[in-house]
Amino acid sequence: MSDAVAGARSAADRISKLRRLNAVLTKQTELRKALVAQADAARPTGVLYGMPVAVKANICTLEFQTSCGSRILEDYRSPYDATAVARLKEAGALIAGATNCDEFAMGSSTEHSAFGRTIHPIDKTRVPGGSSGGSAALVAAGAVPAALGSETGGSVRQPASFCGVVGIKPTYGRVSRYGLVAFGSSLDQIGVFGRSVHDAARVLSVISGRDPRDNTCEDRDPLRLPTVPENLDGFVIGVPKEYFPPDLDPGVRRACDRAIRILRELGAAVREVSLPHTPYAVPTYYIIAPAEASSNLARFDGVRYGVRAEGPLPDVRALYRETRGAGFGAEVRRRILIGTYVLSSGYYDAYYRKAQQVRALIAQDFRNVFDRGVDLLFTPTTPTPAFKAGAKLADPVQMYLSDIFVCTANLAGLPALSLPIGRVKGLPIGGQLMGPHFLEDEMLEAAYALERAVPATEEA
Amino acid sequence: MSVSSEEVLRIAQLAELHVDEESLPELVAQMSRILDYVAQLRAVGPAEHVKPFIPGPDTIRFRPDEVNPWPLAFGPDKMAPAFKGGFFLVPRLGAFGDEGEAGEEA
Repeated sequence: MSDAVAGARSAADRISKLRRLNAVLTKQTELRKALVAQADAARPTGVLYGMPVAVKANICTLEFQTSCGSRILEDYRSPYDATAVARLKEAGALIAGATNCDEFAMGSSTEHSAFGRTIHPIDKTRVPGGSSGGSAALVAAGAVPAALGSETGGSVRQPASFCGVVGIKPTYGRVSRYGLVAFGSSLDQIGVFGRSVHDAARVLSVISGRDPRDNTCEDRDPLRLPTVPENLDGFVIGVPKEYFPPDLDPGVRRACDRAIRILRELGAAVREVSLPHTPYAVPTYYIIAPAEASSNLARFDGVRYGVRAEGPLPDVRALYRETRGAGFGAEVRRRILIGTYVLSSGYYDAYYRKAQQVRALIAQDFRNVFDRGVDLLFTPTTPTPAFKAGAKLADPVQMYLSDIFVCTANLAGLPALSLPIGRVKGLPIGGQLMGPHFLEDEMLEAAYALERAVPATEEA
Repeated sequence: MSVSSEEVLRIAQLAELHVDEESLPELVAQMSRILDYVAQLRAVGPAEHVKPFIPGPDTIRFRPDEVNPWPLAFGPDKMAPAFKGGFFLVPRLGAFGDEGEAGEEA
């Protein structure tokens, strides 16, 4: 038996033991069989040979169902691999199941999955974050060293922060979106979870690079991994004051203060900066993302894809309505309606056009800071640690506000990552680094240094 | 900015989405709450002078205009609820009256 096959069996055992988390949507027998088959066929010369990598259920794989956490795609099996998945396989990695997520990646807690919520790996009464909560929980629980997620408004970094793992969102255009089920096409990017910065960066390096099948993917070589720096001499790190509001959780503030102190001790020059349009990021995001979603999700109609509504129906539009009304969950229906509303005649200028203008201002804020000699930004990833399950379900706006520090990078197309920087009452806290477009290597250098120096499992 | 039940139903019709009577009041309240929240963007002054932000490459790369082999492991017959002879099928619908063969998809 090869090392890869033994590793595949071992990964299947670990995932099976963590069924209580509801982090994986693939049936255990199917997963074990697929893992062993992949291990048999894996290229031993690949840089990720034998590494099990779980994949969010909105990224297409030939092995597993791509349900997107939705009833409407419950039995959907893709006829092709996403480019990111194909590259993982070429590198010898083993695709370790489809992970649970908020339906069509719309949510911040993984409570909006049609297949039940994912449990936080440390505290079962809490959420793992979302929408890529299944991937985050699986990595945090030690079942796999890395997993793919997707980001439209922080859906990798926010759950990475809640679960105490590393989450990277690359620059828009760094990784092909081919095979990622579209939600907000101008915002979507495939991201990576890892137990460490190095694990996540290795996977990112493999999946990045030009792809003729995605015209929004930049014509660039794959990301080259930087070396681990001795110190951060010469780095200028900006700390935006808008990310430290008076109502920031005191534990999060303490953890960030400690991380900033460590960045200084490592030799970085830390200076306060301002990103004045930050308070408008969440409302901007919650106009643009639903507008794009209302268009992208029009294809799920019970004719071309999806589970079809039964019963006597008068016409084809009734078929669409019944199928979509029954197949989509509450949050997806809400966002489709908001998106249709802001794009409709009479409201387009007041909402959608205005949001596009504010998006440009938010991107300009970042350019202004980076043009004035700041290399990277450091912020908290989330305003609080993982919240209780059910705490924000009744008020969608409260749920949306948990994305306040992460959705700006998506609006501006920037690379960003979250890494663990401490704990508060046992719950992980994440710190966020953001950089200029396509300077992931500098961001990773700083992350390597901070990761080595910060006591991530100690109380802040 | 509150929305009425009638507006929500009109938008649902545009979105091809059935909304049942039971869930309508909650949906109206939640949409009103969300629209009130996002309306704070009006406080941002005119921004016509700012260059629009479009993520991704500056120029679109064109692909060769050529027919390539079907890159899929299987065709739409395996994905769609019903597919026959190169067409997506829909069930017999009331609007088609008694035309066609009873009980078959049209």
